[in-house]
Amino acid sequence: METTAYQPEEEVLVDNLKSGNQKAFREAVRSYTPGMLAVARFYLDHASAEETVQDCWVSVIDAIQTFEGRASLKTWLHRIVANRAKNHLRKNKREISTDFSETLDPELAERFAPNGRWAKPPSLKSNESAEALMENGALSKCLDHHLSRLPETQRSALMLYEAHQHKSEDVCNILDVSASNLRVLLHRARQKIFLMVETFRETGEC
Amino acid sequence: MLMCRDLARIASDYIDDELGVGKVMSVKMHLLMCGRCRSFIGNLRASIELMSAHSGQQVNEELVRRIDERISESLRTRDAGNIKPE
Repeated sequence: METTAYQPEEEVLVDNLKSGNQKAFREAVRSYTPGMLAVARFYLDHASAEETVQDCWVSVIDAIQTFEGRASLKTWLHRIVANRAKNHLRKNKREISTDFSETLDPELAERFAPNGRWAKPPSLKSNESAEALMENGALSKCLDHHLSRLPETQRSALMLYEAHQHKSEDVCNILDVSASNLRVLLHRARQKIFLMVETFRETGEC
Repeated sequence: MLMCRDLARIASDYIDDELGVGKVMSVKMHLLMCGRCRSFIGNLRASIELMSAHSGQQVNEELVRRIDERISESLRTRDAGNIKPE
């Protein structure tokens, strides 16, 4: 996992953003928007999340002057989006309901006998590297498909932790969840991906 | 005694090194005896690596274009406001 400290290579980008360089904004928008959208989608529906991310970028034009590099630019942007999304939620009086009581995915839970042993054990041993698996375009597409079907809370936690490489405490701060609840979200999401990969490798189908 | 279902519940915590020493020992003991759970942990670990290898950076081109336009417009407005009349 990366640290949240300000990355030296970001300095040039941040300086250019502070001076209002349009090319720098284009570069930053392309790099950071997917992660910002993952944060917003934790709280909001698709359309509201996109709108929030757009508004966020416009506010960054001025707000970047206050960026002091105490966290990485990515973490700073993700916190701004999270705050805006939470405000949006409060205005619309919506609440996020997530069940954190069960860590086992229901589909996986069915594969155990009443005595707690495997009734339907994992069918395949892992002998391919992640890189080798990702070279399979169909699997990559299948992964996208299943990621899009994950509950928003699980997907956002997974994307921030795995794909965007935030530390646990950053994800907790950004998504406003406790450390134990983040563990539940991550584990539930990972089990879904495990089941997807297993089915794909067994049947070739998504 | 730790059963397979118990292990499946805490498998991510084990992989991420988030368990206490006692629990880790129980998991290791169980894995020594249970090939099915070794396979589960191995496959879950592979799924996690797969997620990390997956870019997760797919850019929504239409959204990026809209953001670029809004930023350009805001920068133009701001710069126009900063030009002082002679």
